Amino acid sequence: MAGAINNTPRSVVTTESRPVRYLLTGLALLFVGLFLVIPLLSVFVEALRQGWKLYLAALVEPDALSAIKLTLLVAVISVPLNLVFGVAAAWAIAKFEFRGKSLLITLIDLPFSVSPVVAGLIYVLLFGAQGWWGPWLSDNDVKVIFAVPGIVLATVFVTFPFVARELIPLMEAQGSDEEQAAMVLGASGWQTFWRVTLPNIKWGLLYGVILANARAMGEFGAVSVVSGHIRGLTNTVPLHVEILYNEYNFVGAFACASILALLALVTLAAKSYVEWRSARLALEDQRNALNDQ
Amino acid sequence: MSIEIKQISKRFGQFQALNDINLDIQGGELLALLGPSGCGKTTLLRVIAGLETPDAGQILFHGEDATDTHVRERQVGFVFQHYALFRHMTVFENVAFGLRVRPKKTRPSEEAIKKKVHELLELVQLDWLADRYPAQLSGGQRQRIALARALAVEPRVLLLDEPFGALDTKVRKELRRWLRRLHDEMHITSVFVTHDQEEALEVADRVVVMNKGRIEQSGTPAEVYDAPATPFVYQFLGDVNLFHSRVHEGWAEVGGTRFAAPEAGDKAVIYVRPHEIDLARNASNDALAGIVTHVRLLGATVRLEVKTDAHEALEVELTRERYQAERWAVGDAVWLTPREARVYGA
Amino acid sequence: MAFKQHSVLPGFGLSLGYTLLYLSIIVLLPLTALVVKSSDLTWPAFWAAVADPRVIATYKVTFGASALAATLNLFAGLLLAWVLVRYPFPGKRLIDALVDLPFALPTAVAGIALATLYAPNGWLGQYLEPLGIKVAFTPLGIVVALTFVTLPFVVRTVQPVLQDLEHELEEAAASLGATRWQIFWKVILPMLLPALLTGFALAFARAVGEYGSVIFIAGNMPFVSEITPLMIISKLEQYDYLGATAIAVVMLGVSFALLFIINGLQWWSAKRLGRRK
Repeated sequence: MAGAINNTPRSVVTTESRPVRYLLTGLALLFVGLFLVIPLLSVFVEALRQGWKLYLAALVEPDALSAIKLTLLVAVISVPLNLVFGVAAAWAIAKFEFRGKSLLITLIDLPFSVSPVVAGLIYVLLFGAQGWWGPWLSDNDVKVIFAVPGIVLATVFVTFPFVARELIPLMEAQGSDEEQAAMVLGASGWQTFWRVTLPNIKWGLLYGVILANARAMGEFGAVSVVSGHIRGLTNTVPLHVEILYNEYNFVGAFACASILALLALVTLAAKSYVEWRSARLALEDQRNALNDQ
Repeated sequence: MSIEIKQISKRFGQFQALNDINLDIQGGELLALLGPSGCGKTTLLRVIAGLETPDAGQILFHGEDATDTHVRERQVGFVFQHYALFRHMTVFENVAFGLRVRPKKTRPSEEAIKKKVHELLELVQLDWLADRYPAQLSGGQRQRIALARALAVEPRVLLLDEPFGALDTKVRKELRRWLRRLHDEMHITSVFVTHDQEEALEVADRVVVMNKGRIEQSGTPAEVYDAPATPFVYQFLGDVNLFHSRVHEGWAEVGGTRFAAPEAGDKAVIYVRPHEIDLARNASNDALAGIVTHVRLLGATVRLEVKTDAHEALEVELTRERYQAERWAVGDAVWLTPREARVYGA
Repeated sequence: MAFKQHSVLPGFGLSLGYTLLYLSIIVLLPLTALVVKSSDLTWPAFWAAVADPRVIATYKVTFGASALAATLNLFAGLLLAWVLVRYPFPGKRLIDALVDLPFALPTAVAGIALATLYAPNGWLGQYLEPLGIKVAFTPLGIVVALTFVTLPFVVRTVQPVLQDLEHELEEAAASLGATRWQIFWKVILPMLLPALLTGFALAFARAVGEYGSVIFIAGNMPFVSEITPLMIISKLEQYDYLGATAIAVVMLGVSFALLFIINGLQWWSAKRLGRRK
C-alpha cells in the first residue's frame, strides 16, 4: 500500500528555502494537472458535450446495457476466483517455510509483466479453432474463444496477482503468533482461520479486491484478443467504447467511458479509505503499546 | 572555545521545550546535560548545534554571536544517538565526507584527506575497518566511526546526543571511559546529553541537571550529588526515601532525629538516601521502628525493605560485609536512624 | 534442509496444492503452450517472422517510446514523491490519491481521452499545433500515453523510501559542512537510487506491453507509429497464428528479462537500505 502522509514539521536545516519549495510544488502540481486532472475531466466534458439527454440515451442503448451486464458478470466470476487463490497462496507462503518460496512468489507476479495482448493470445492458442483443444471443444460444441468463458479466463489472468501480492507481505509481517495462540487454546484449523486470521487481514483483502475489480472491469488488451467483438454478446464496456469511438460516435464512446471513469474514482476513494483506515489502526496500536511506559 | 547561552527559549506548538536557559560553557570543558526524557536537554544541544533555531535568546561562540549562523558554518561536530552514518558509503567515505564537501578553495588534496581519515580511524582504533560498510559494524564500532566523522572537520565544539544510549551495558561502560580519555587528550569543548546519572557523574567535568525546560542545577559531579539544589535533583541522582514532617522552630524531625530546616515553612519534606540510614536491633527513642519485609542481594550491596508503622516501605542499603555480620532476615524487628538528610520546604 | 520446516499450523498441503494447481492452469500451462506452439516454426521461419522490417520498426517504436516515458516519469515521479512527502500544501491527500488514477482508469478510457485532448483541434492539441508540435497520431502520442499509464510506478517506489529516510542523515551532513545541494546529491539521491531504478524498470516493463491506451493516439502507421503488441493483434486478424506466436515469444522473453532485472534491483534496494531478512 502507498505510504501514509507524514505531517511532522521538519527542522530548518533539512528543508529547502521557501521559493524552491513553492517552485517544486508548483511543477509537481502542473504535471499532475496536465497528465491526470485534464484527461480525467475531459472524459466527462466530452460525454456531456451534447447534453444530458444524449448522454443518458447512449447509456441505456441495448448494446451498451449488454456490455455493462457482461462486464459485471466477468468481474463477479473472476474476482472471487482470484480472492480464494490469493488467500490460499498467502497462507502457504506467509505461514510456512519451504524451499522454492521466492520462485513461487515470482511466478505469482508473472502475469503483471506479461503484455495483456500476449495474455489473450495464449488462450487463443489453447482454446481457439486452431488451438490444442480447439477441435475437441468444437466437436463437443463448447465455445471458449469469442465467448464469455474466454473473456473470463483472460480477465482472471490479468488480475491474477492482485489479492495475493497484497496479502503475502501483510501476513508475513503479522507472523503466526496469533494463530499459534489459537491452536494452543484448542481451536481447529478452520476456526483459527475464520476467527483469527481473516479478521486480521480483512483490510488488506479488501484492498486487493478493490484493485482486482478495477482491473477486471477495465481490462482491454487481453479481452480484446479473445472476445471477437460481437455486439450485444461478447463486448465488455471497454470494448464497446472502442467500437463507438472508431465509428466516430464520440458522445456514445465518452458516455460509456464516463461510467468506467466513475468506477475509477470510486476505486480511488475506496482505496484511500482503506489506506487511511489501516494506517490509523496501526498508529493506534503503536500509541497504545507505548502507553504504559 | 567557550559557549555562552543567554535566555534561550523554544517551544514546539503548545510544548515549552526550553524556558529561559542561561549557561556558560568553559573552553575545553566536558559538560553533561542530564535529565529525564522531555526535559529539553536534546533540544538545547540541537540549539547549540544550529539544528534548531531558538524562539528567543542568544548563543555566543567565543564571545561572538552565533545565533543565526547556519549549522554548516558553525563548525560543530555532532554525534547522533543512532549514529546517522551514511549507509551507502564505506567507513572511510563516511569519515572523509566533511572534507570532501568543502568548497574547492579550502578542500584538502586527496592525499591529505587520506592521511587525515587514517589518523582519525587510528585515533578511534578502527583503522582496519576503513573499507567496511556501516551495516557490517557493531553498535560500539558505529559509535566510534560517528565520532571520527564528527572530528574530521576539526570542530570547535563536540556535541553528543545520548552517545551511549543505544549500546548494551558492557560496551557502554568501556566507551564511557574511552571518551573521557579521548577528551583529556584533545581538550575540545564537549557537551553530551544523557538521561543516565551514573554516566553523567562518571564522565563529565560538570553536570547540568535539567527538568521541564529549565536548568535545576549546574556543578561538578560532587557538588550536584552531595549538595543537590532542589528536590528534583536529589531524586533524579539516586534512590531516595521521603519523610514528611512539621517544622518546629526551624527543626524537622524523622523518628526522633532532628534536622535543621532553616528555609522550610510549616512543613518540610526530608530526603534520605538508602545508604544513609543506620540499622539497630535495640529499641531507642530517637529511632523509627519497623519490620524487615524483603532482602535483596545486589552484588556488593544488600538492599532491605523495611515496613514502618508510619510509612509504607523504606529502602535501606548496606554493604555486604555489614549484612553478613548483622545477619538481617525477613521478619526481624529493626530500629532506623537517618545519618544524613536533605530538608526542603513542602 | 527438508522441503518444509515443521509448523504447528495446519493447511499447508491444501493451500500450497491449490496454489500450484491454480497457478498451473491459469498461468503456467498457457504460457507453455505459447512456447511449444512457437516450436512448430522452423528457425528460419521464426526469424523471418520476428525480424521482418515492419516488426523491427515496431520494436524501435515500442522500446524507444517506453524508455522515453519511463525516463520522463523518473524525474516527474521523483519530484512528485518529494513534494508529497516533504512539503505541506492544501489538497495534498487528494493529489496523493489521484496519483493512482492510471492504475484505476481503464486503458481504453485513457486512450480515447488523450487522443481527443491532443488531436489538432483538442483542448491541448490546439495550442501545440501552431508551435509545430504534433502529438496525436505520431510516436510522440505514444510517449504521452505511456507516460500516463506508467506515472504511478516511480512515485510509489520512491515515496516510502523517502518517508523512512531519517532526518538525522541530512542533519549530520549539514553539520559536516555540506550545502543543501551537496546533501541531495551525495546523501539523499544515493539512498533513493535503487528505488528510482526499480520504479523505472517497472514503468518500462509495463510500457513495453501496453496496448489499450496507445492504439487510439498512435495513428498506427506502419514503420512510424506501430507498437509491437499491435503487430500481434494484426497477425491474429490475418489468421497468422504462428507469426503472432513468434512475436509473442520475443515479448515474453523481454518480460522475463525485465522481471529478472526488477527482482535484482529490489534485492539490491533492500541491501542498500540495510534491511536484512
